[in-house]
Amino acid sequence: MAAQQQFIVGVDTGGTFTDVVVMSGAGEVWTAKASTTPDDFSRGVMDALTEAANTVGIDRDELLGRTSLFKHGSTVATNALITRSGVKVGFITTKGFEDTTEIMRAIGRVDGLGEEEIRHVTWVTKPEPFVPRERIIGVRERMDYLGNEIVPVNRADVMAAIRRLIDEEKVAAIAVSLLHAWTSPGHEEEIRSLALEADPSRKVYWSFGSALSQVAGEYARANTAIINSYLGPTVERYLKDLEAKLRSGGLKGIFLIMQGNGGGAHRERVSAIANLQSGPAGGMIASAHVAGLLRHKNVITTDMGGTSFDVGLITDGYWRYAQEPIVERFRILQPIIDIESIGAGGGTIARIDPDTKRLLVGPKSAGASPGPVCYDAGGEEVTVTDADLALGIIDPNYFLGGKKILNKKKTLGAIEEKIARPLRLSVTEAAAGIFDIVNAKMSDLIRRQVVRTGYLPEEFVIYVFGGAGPVHAAGFAAELGVKKIFIFSTSPVFSAFGAAAADVIHTRVMSCQVLLPADPLLLNKRLESIEGDLREVMAGEDFKKDQVEFRRFFTMRYRRQTAGVELPLSWDRFTQGRVAEMRDSFEKKYEELYGAGAGYTKAGIEISEVRVDAVGLVAKPRLKAARARKGSIAGARKGRREIFFTRPELRRIHTPVYDYSLLGPGVRINGPAVIELPFTTTLVPPGFKVTVDNYLNTGCGRSAKKDE
Amino acid sequence: MTLQRVTASPIVSQGGECMSSFYDSQGTMVLACSGHLRFAAATSDAIKSMIQWFSKSPGFHDGDQFFFNDPYVAGSHTYDMMIIKPIFYRDRLIAWTATSTHTADTGGLLRGGAYEVHHEGIRIMGLKLVERGEFREDVFKSLTEQCRDPQYVGLDLKAMVAGNNVCAKRYLGLVEKFGLGFVQAAGEKMIEDSENKARAKLRSLPDGTWMARQYVTTLDRKTRKSVGQQLFCAMTKRGDELCFDLTGTSPQTDTDHNSTLPSTLAHLALALTNTLFWDVPWSDGKMRPVKVTVPEGTILNCRYPAACGAAPRIGSVLVSTVCECVAKMLYAAGRYDDVNCSTTGNLEYVGGPGYFYGGHTREGIRVAQGLYDIHGAGMGASPQRDGVNTGGHMNIPSAGISDIEQTEMQYPFLYVTRGHNCDGSGFGRFRGGLGSYRIYLIYGSQDCSVDYKPYGGIAQGGFGLFGGYSTGISATRLMAQAGLEMIERVKNGDYPDAQSIRKGEWGKLYYPEGVPERIALPEGSLLVDYVAGGGGLGDPLDRDPAAVLRDYGRGWASREIAERIYGVVLDTKGKSVNSAATEEKRKAIRASRLREGKPASGKISSLQGAAGTSWRTARRFHAALEIAADGGGSAIRCSRCGHLFCTAEENYKLHALHRVVDLNDFMPYPLPSGEPYYGEYHEYFCPGCATQLQVDLVCPMLGGEAILWDTRIRQAR
Repeated sequence: MAAQQQFIVGVDTGGTFTDVVVMSGAGEVWTAKASTTPDDFSRGVMDALTEAANTVGIDRDELLGRTSLFKHGSTVATNALITRSGVKVGFITTKGFEDTTEIMRAIGRVDGLGEEEIRHVTWVTKPEPFVPRERIIGVRERMDYLGNEIVPVNRADVMAAIRRLIDEEKVAAIAVSLLHAWTSPGHEEEIRSLALEADPSRKVYWSFGSALSQVAGEYARANTAIINSYLGPTVERYLKDLEAKLRSGGLKGIFLIMQGNGGGAHRERVSAIANLQSGPAGGMIASAHVAGLLRHKNVITTDMGGTSFDVGLITDGYWRYAQEPIVERFRILQPIIDIESIGAGGGTIARIDPDTKRLLVGPKSAGASPGPVCYDAGGEEVTVTDADLALGIIDPNYFLGGKKILNKKKTLGAIEEKIARPLRLSVTEAAAGIFDIVNAKMSDLIRRQVVRTGYLPEEFVIYVFGGAGPVHAAGFAAELGVKKIFIFSTSPVFSAFGAAAADVIHTRVMSCQVLLPADPLLLNKRLESIEGDLREVMAGEDFKKDQVEFRRFFTMRYRRQTAGVELPLSWDRFTQGRVAEMRDSFEKKYEELYGAGAGYTKAGIEISEVRVDAVGLVAKPRLKAARARKGSIAGARKGRREIFFTRPELRRIHTPVYDYSLLGPGVRINGPAVIELPFTTTLVPPGFKVTVDNYLNTGCGRSAKKDE
Repeated sequence: MTLQRVTASPIVSQGGECMSSFYDSQGTMVLACSGHLRFAAATSDAIKSMIQWFSKSPGFHDGDQFFFNDPYVAGSHTYDMMIIKPIFYRDRLIAWTATSTHTADTGGLLRGGAYEVHHEGIRIMGLKLVERGEFREDVFKSLTEQCRDPQYVGLDLKAMVAGNNVCAKRYLGLVEKFGLGFVQAAGEKMIEDSENKARAKLRSLPDGTWMARQYVTTLDRKTRKSVGQQLFCAMTKRGDELCFDLTGTSPQTDTDHNSTLPSTLAHLALALTNTLFWDVPWSDGKMRPVKVTVPEGTILNCRYPAACGAAPRIGSVLVSTVCECVAKMLYAAGRYDDVNCSTTGNLEYVGGPGYFYGGHTREGIRVAQGLYDIHGAGMGASPQRDGVNTGGHMNIPSAGISDIEQTEMQYPFLYVTRGHNCDGSGFGRFRGGLGSYRIYLIYGSQDCSVDYKPYGGIAQGGFGLFGGYSTGISATRLMAQAGLEMIERVKNGDYPDAQSIRKGEWGKLYYPEGVPERIALPEGSLLVDYVAGGGGLGDPLDRDPAAVLRDYGRGWASREIAERIYGVVLDTKGKSVNSAATEEKRKAIRASRLREGKPASGKISSLQGAAGTSWRTARRFHAALEIAADGGGSAIRCSRCGHLFCTAEENYKLHALHRVVDLNDFMPYPLPSGEPYYGEYHEYFCPGCATQLQVDLVCPMLGGEAILWDTRIRQAR
């Protein structure tokens, strides 16, 4: 029977590991990992596939031969951006506006920086632009904001610019972004046809701002086109090569690329820039998928790794997109899943301010190398992981499943010397301080994220990822009043898992300026044109008309505000009544967000943006409930150890320790307890209880009745 | 964050001119969140005054929110609006929260015309907009209808109310969780921490006195001509205290060009926040070691009822003046990362059409008031690099400017260009960051107007360090009566630039009779507008010729300035540096410095026969000067050639070669109005190696000592 089974494969190339998730139609799941190979990422992918095939018990060619859907998220684009290893780009824009990407709306000086860095006003500078001023050429042409032509395209200017960039500057890619092309792409289309004349064999890689975004804002749109060109050749070559390798390895199924918007798409239809953030997006898809399974409407996803803490939100079953997301200090216009980050991870450094004697944690990190003091690899600064170790939460002999032996003595010495003695605290009190501060920082970030959506943290559950997460999650969840946290056995390969579960999604966002009460026909016309465009794209993805689901969103605001509130549309077309209904729901949402009385109808209400997601549903594995894995509390118990809990007051408890792999569905454990997984440690404080569900996920919540 | 998303004014939503903060029950600021720093310090005074005035009647109740905008108590001008909310816990007033915005409409005379604060629209000293949780429509309507644009003001007021609600809720959440006692103690600890940190930082710096003098210009109502005023700042640091004495500052004016004392103190606090105390937590505690003296009746402490609409402009120059003193002190302490000659964000040579618009857009919607490209000013040079081009604004650490695509939707403008301003920042070994300039056409509206100022003959604020210049040369605003016909010319490929507009090739240049406060901008008016660049650092002759070449290639430096100021000769195509000619040119410039400069004291050294080279360096307080010491005494020495000027307790400038250059000779063209400049550059050179050590801007008509003793470091005994 097994021989006929088809597989769905999700692969995620991360910074360190390349992860694979294989799922069978029957809902079985296999996972595997291999090291990421930055010199040729495809090698790591093939290695990981070999590993995965081994786990399934077949060879790689058979695995590929039986794969109906192969979905891949990679860090290739992100990596090229971070290491600045993209190609040489030239930029063509409207004459008179050649400095736009240097001016960076002035805000480019602080974009992507944390509050503490921004305060050092005398020191902070702009990042080096991707295209130096010498390779930016203005051409004569101009549209107004309504899309009316003021100055026609000067074809001689365009041809001369192309010639200079290709022949003299020897660029490998060209980006084109003109003023007001968001409202009418006519002039960029004209340049596109001239580009075909000048570069018929497509020797250089071309990107056009209007094709990548229809949102007003020339700075971010120019960045979008430039970064797309900067990454294009690298990403394209990689994906092409990889597909060739997979095909020759026997893959006959569909090959989809993961995008930062949380959807997959065919290689030919994915712009290079859409590859950015596809890893974190994979994690969000997996979360949304699991949320559906567990019937969680609102989820906070958290990922606490070595250097940072990332937070994303799922509300009413969907993830959210960031407005002008910032990648590597550059704002762009792309639908990218909104994930906020602060410097708070296991490697985050704790220190004392010499003047105020205040204990400070972060944002600096000791990273993986030299890492925390306990790694014994030369790290001298006390980190969060050191505090976790000092409190007894982490077993020095079972860190990463015993792969790394930690030097506890050294950690205790460092905390004593650097934190405890200067503050006249015991080592345990000092460690508890670090533990509580980092928890407070994380709960602050979460609260900020949640509050700006108009929800309250209490309305969410928290999903916990990352090696350091489950140690701290009960702590920050309690601060937020969140009742339940979840830890997943597939957590270390969650991005790959998400890729496997992803649908095909194409997103269009368009600026507009429509004052209410608007003519419903006008709004419908706009929707129809966007949907027509998307339908064409989806046809290219082999989805028939009736297989495509549209999700529609309108961003509304009081007139003359610059940021708006995004509302989902619950119907496909407008009527007079629905326009009024939409206005009401905007005002209601606005008051939810900013308090009763904050709205001001008299200012007028306008629609500023329309977004449509075209979703092509892809077969998804149905997760099978765990096969009767039997497990009893007694059997899983590894022993006890002394652990210091910080809340409600610092105290030492002789705490039982459990081996997660020996726990079965339905098991309940009351805190205080510690549950060890190979990749992390879950801390269950007193007053909390843990249950293991049918999918072997661990849920942790308060055990007191009043909270239920 | 909440505030920025919901407000109507572009200056708040994109420019970041807003602030939300927490105060203890007495009104002392505990925590400010990032935003416009001027507001943070100000609101504390408003709360303290309201406590004094209104505790009995009408009293403070749970759910109240007050409107406040009296610049004689708090804030800079009536456009600084605050909504203040007492926070109650179990029926006790435990704290305050306040939100402020810059909302540029209070009714009254249009900007520029006022000469009493009573002309400047509503001025409210606390009025309940929300009473016990009930929004008061009567108050709201009365306030907003006083303004020309009630929707815009209304939306900002509502946004502030909303911001306070969010803040108060958060604060009460903390109290619920940790208990009132703990939260209040934490607040006290934060104030105390700020003070301790500020004092510790001061202790780490050398003792001494630093002086700076900068200028502003305004309209003289009687002569209808531009007139200058000076801001004078003497900063003395001793131990862990810092004293500012602003005596010497010009008397107040009979225009709106005045700053109230609260505005002055707020700007002084923000100058320190950004430079000296950037790493000190933002609470009132950091100002406790700081003492300030401001004589009454000056433009920095005007007497009621003087108008003060332009106070932020004076405030910006004050920030710049204070920053000049602080930068020199920080340099002397070796804190090079904190040294920067950033200026003010305003235009150097103020005058011509401003940026506060009135009228209607193409769609018949009111235009959105001020356009704040000044928030993208060039930052100052640092000891190791050029200033950041279009970097932001000293007063607002995370400022930004609007996309042109957004601007054209809100104003009846058609931009021809927005770019970096050629020669537009202070020259130096490291030049200041370039400001921006824009050329735009009034397009699609018959109704548009803008504020207007006389052209000033001296640069506004800004400073260079250690031989760098405070400003560049090309930044005077222009308006040409081009007419919509110009679009036809552009269609045919002929684009206007600042030079051709200045020459009159795009229609007659417009200078209104009698310098009115506002002018109409008929459709077809073509405007050139500038934003300031940063100051330069170090002798321009030390600039890397490759950097000059690069700037020339990018259109950021002219050939003329490359040669005249930097002594860099480019080949005819402008593609490479002619090294031999450059060397010659620089030699010639140094020779002329030695020839033309004369020591003011008559002597190039006050020391006799000291063998300076054997002395060791005790403190570098300047890019080219140091205090050198042997066992007995200490002297100021050129760190390049070893020339000894004088003892450490004397003014080296008296022994440097001193040359005065009239601005009318320095600038490439006269003011657009044809009037003369009224300032001078005082340049100081090392008599040994001809290095340019300092360039001071001096306005002789305002009197005062020309040779400023800017750095006076006390020697530890």
